[in-house]
Amino acid sequence: MPADTFTFNGVVRLTRVGTGFVLFTIVIGFAAINTGNNSLYIGLTFMLGALLLSGIASKGGLKHLVIEFSSVDEAWAGRAAEGRLRIANDSRIWNVRDVIVVAQELAHPVFVPVVPRRGKVDVDVQFLFAHRGRVELRQVDLYTRYPFGFFLKKRRMRISGEVIVFPRLLEGDGSRDRFAPVEGELSSANRIGHGTDVHSFRDYVRGDSLRHVYWKKSASLGRWIMKQTELDAGRAVHVVVDPYKPRDVADDEFEQMVSEAATFIHDSIAQGVDVVLTMPRISLRSSAGDASRALFRALALLEASREPVEQTLERGALLFSVRRIDDAKSA
Amino acid sequence: MTPKARELETLALAMFAAVPLYFTQAILAPPLIAFHVVMLGIAARVAMGKGPELIPAAVMRAFAVAYMFFYVIDAAAISRNAIAASTHLILFIAAYQPIESVRTRNQSQRLLTTSLLFLASIATATHILILPFVVAFTFLMFRQLMHISHDESVRSIDYTAARELPAGRAAAFYLCGTTLVGMLLFPLLPRVRNPLLPGVGGGLTNASTGLSESIDFSQPRSSTGDAGVVTRVWMSQDAIPFFTPLRLRGALYDRFGKNEWRQGRREFLPMEVRNGAATIARPSGFTRRAIIQQRFIVGTRLFLPVGTYEVAGLPQVVEAPTRDIFMTWQTRGDLVNYDVRIAREIRPLRQRPVAVSNYPVTPPVALMARQIAGDATTADQAARRIEAHLATKFTYVADPATIGRRSMTVDDFLLNERRGHCEYFAAGMVALLTSLNIPARIVGGFYGGQLNPLTGYFVIRRQDAHAWVEVWTGDSWETFDPTPVSLRPGNTQQGLLRVYASALGDSITYFWDRYILTFGLGDQVALAIELITRTRSAMERLRSGAAASMREVLSIRFLMIVTALIALGFLAVWLMHARRPTSALLTEHLRRLGINVSDAMTMEEALARLRIENPDAADALQPLIAMYEEERFSNRHDASLASAIRRALRELRA
Repeated sequence: MPADTFTFNGVVRLTRVGTGFVLFTIVIGFAAINTGNNSLYIGLTFMLGALLLSGIASKGGLKHLVIEFSSVDEAWAGRAAEGRLRIANDSRIWNVRDVIVVAQELAHPVFVPVVPRRGKVDVDVQFLFAHRGRVELRQVDLYTRYPFGFFLKKRRMRISGEVIVFPRLLEGDGSRDRFAPVEGELSSANRIGHGTDVHSFRDYVRGDSLRHVYWKKSASLGRWIMKQTELDAGRAVHVVVDPYKPRDVADDEFEQMVSEAATFIHDSIAQGVDVVLTMPRISLRSSAGDASRALFRALALLEASREPVEQTLERGALLFSVRRIDDAKSA
Repeated sequence: MTPKARELETLALAMFAAVPLYFTQAILAPPLIAFHVVMLGIAARVAMGKGPELIPAAVMRAFAVAYMFFYVIDAAAISRNAIAASTHLILFIAAYQPIESVRTRNQSQRLLTTSLLFLASIATATHILILPFVVAFTFLMFRQLMHISHDESVRSIDYTAARELPAGRAAAFYLCGTTLVGMLLFPLLPRVRNPLLPGVGGGLTNASTGLSESIDFSQPRSSTGDAGVVTRVWMSQDAIPFFTPLRLRGALYDRFGKNEWRQGRREFLPMEVRNGAATIARPSGFTRRAIIQQRFIVGTRLFLPVGTYEVAGLPQVVEAPTRDIFMTWQTRGDLVNYDVRIAREIRPLRQRPVAVSNYPVTPPVALMARQIAGDATTADQAARRIEAHLATKFTYVADPATIGRRSMTVDDFLLNERRGHCEYFAAGMVALLTSLNIPARIVGGFYGGQLNPLTGYFVIRRQDAHAWVEVWTGDSWETFDPTPVSLRPGNTQQGLLRVYASALGDSITYFWDRYILTFGLGDQVALAIELITRTRSAMERLRSGAAASMREVLSIRFLMIVTALIALGFLAVWLMHARRPTSALLTEHLRRLGINVSDAMTMEEALARLRIENPDAADALQPLIAMYEEERFSNRHDASLASAIRRALRELRA
């Protein structure tokens, strides 16, 4: 990362140009004192003034910057996510130019040409998160050489922001093919009826219409059971994700499973298929709009369970799990 | 700004930095002209869209190698001056670097070279015009530095979409700030001598002067029209009628030989300085004080007004190089400020033998002198008659060339031509007095000057150079001037507007000379003393005023009000202390535990550091830090968290 070439610990660093300028100032100072030549003293005062003002400007400029995490679009682990930072300059005096924003979560350092005094700028940035889950943005480092490049001034700032990072989507076609919805699952053409025949029953999912509640069965089981027609079933894929991670299974394997589930759901939605995602204590259905995000959000926040979790596996449902096959059958 | 425009500006800046060298003459003109020709050639190529390689880079590199040897030869044999040779070297480098920039990125090195040229230029300049030069140079330098800073920032992160930096307004803003800071710093920077290399540099000597070593009538002589200021004299209003027109004595010509009047030499005679003042004559009659600022144009010779009997403010005063002419010692600067006391009449401190000049008087001149003097019985009477005769019967001509004679003898002037400039008038009078056995001498100096109505001082310029006569009247030298009054220097009439414009310009120059160019350790000491004195007197006034006020207002009611105000103050301080933000409280607590929380450190980082040094204290503080984080960075505002932190911190301290 190029930022490594100039990031440093501490608050300020003298640059190469600055070192040359300081040495030159010392030479002029020596010449002025040696000769008592007030013309040289004039030059010296200008140079000292420039040094002083440069330090004050860079410190004063950064001091008055306020940076806020503004927004981020869909953030997927391992993919650059477009986001936005808002930088405000509270100073009444200093325009701050050439600010470089560096943060662990940013894909690369961001260059901000100018933040005018008493002004705000929105900066488009790219975030890059390594892992899914809830990521808290904690701090950014601001660097500037402005105005004269004598000093590289740094200010570490706290920011508050939270991003839900969706699971990593698998890139290779091979892994996708394994879970591609089969033809029959996607089509209801070989089914009789027009969505009125009962195909199966399932638990209530948020977003379901109450018109399809199967009251009789719900009353007997003590929870809401939905009646699925043939057409509905044909257009939807039921995905069950098992959060159980046995002790002998590596974290990476669990994450791979979550990624596979996310990739499957992503591809299904992309092909216009509704997805019902079932996880312990939660069941979500994708439909138009942002509802699909809820599925990925749930996957993003899925935590591995040390103990086996019981889940109803309905007919035609697709199970994602890191359990051994024998364990899965017994469960 | 496009890269081409920037390159042109860089070239222009280097050329601009070297311009003052033409005026200061620190180096000869040919190398400077060569430098500017090459740089203009490079600039022309760049302007036409070509590369800067006016001379092929390989050839320039060969020149660069050769120049290393040439530098030694230049310093030893050609310039015979290391500073001049170094300036030549910098000029060469400044011309070489744009050509080399095709191969290597050397923008900052080029600016450094330009700065060295700037240093060479200002180091040898004393004129006020150097100030706008410094300002303009600084502005352009700031622009260039901003561009370099911008380039470095962009390059450090491989950023490609950066626009060019608009640096003009920003450079002007920082120039204003720098000028303000510079003005504050200028009087404060220490003016101390270097104890290791005292007097390495010094003031610049001037090439020309209104006063020559001798008055050689075999050579064509004419007065100079140079308006350069030589001296400024300030005196009180009541002194002006008695001591003007001013006559500043600079040289005495009392030896004649081969149609040339020369200055009689003498050994250096230091004058005794008592209480900071050197007495050089005995006063008589009305006396007043005058303040003089003078530029050295003939060594360190002082141009004292006629009637001066005491000189103050100089470390040493020496009678030299002739009798009744004085000089001082000053190794730095070409300006000096001092006070004098002047009297209507002065007499020498000690009686010395006075001789009649050795001018070879011819019978016609002797006859003429006798005719003019008539029945005069005293030297004073004879001198007055001769002065009046020459002033009325002879004609003043500024340049003898206008009458067809480039030079003539004094006898020619007196007997045939009867026309000439002030030196002929003075020499003619001395010749006539010599024939009468009256000691007389020619005085070279400056006459008249112009009163600056804005500041109240007289300005004497080089063009005011004049010659007159001093006649020994038995106990003192008396001044006579045979040149017609209306034709003496400084008597030209000017319009009011021109007078004021000239006065304004001169006032600015005076300020520059007095408070910038000659500002020194003495001024700093005076400034400090004045500051201390003013502070003391202010404190004294305050104290006496306060004592009087205290007596008046020291009553129960007043004490009650004061007590109430103090209580309110304490309450305000306590409230401010109690309402301090939790971050400040935590920072203070951490500081007590030995952890300094800097601006660039978060509380968590501070806690981590504390955990290494004091795990128990860190465990105790951890929940407070967590509460602080929640209070500070969560979206909802919860005042109870802050209160809880304050309470917990109090408990921790207890």
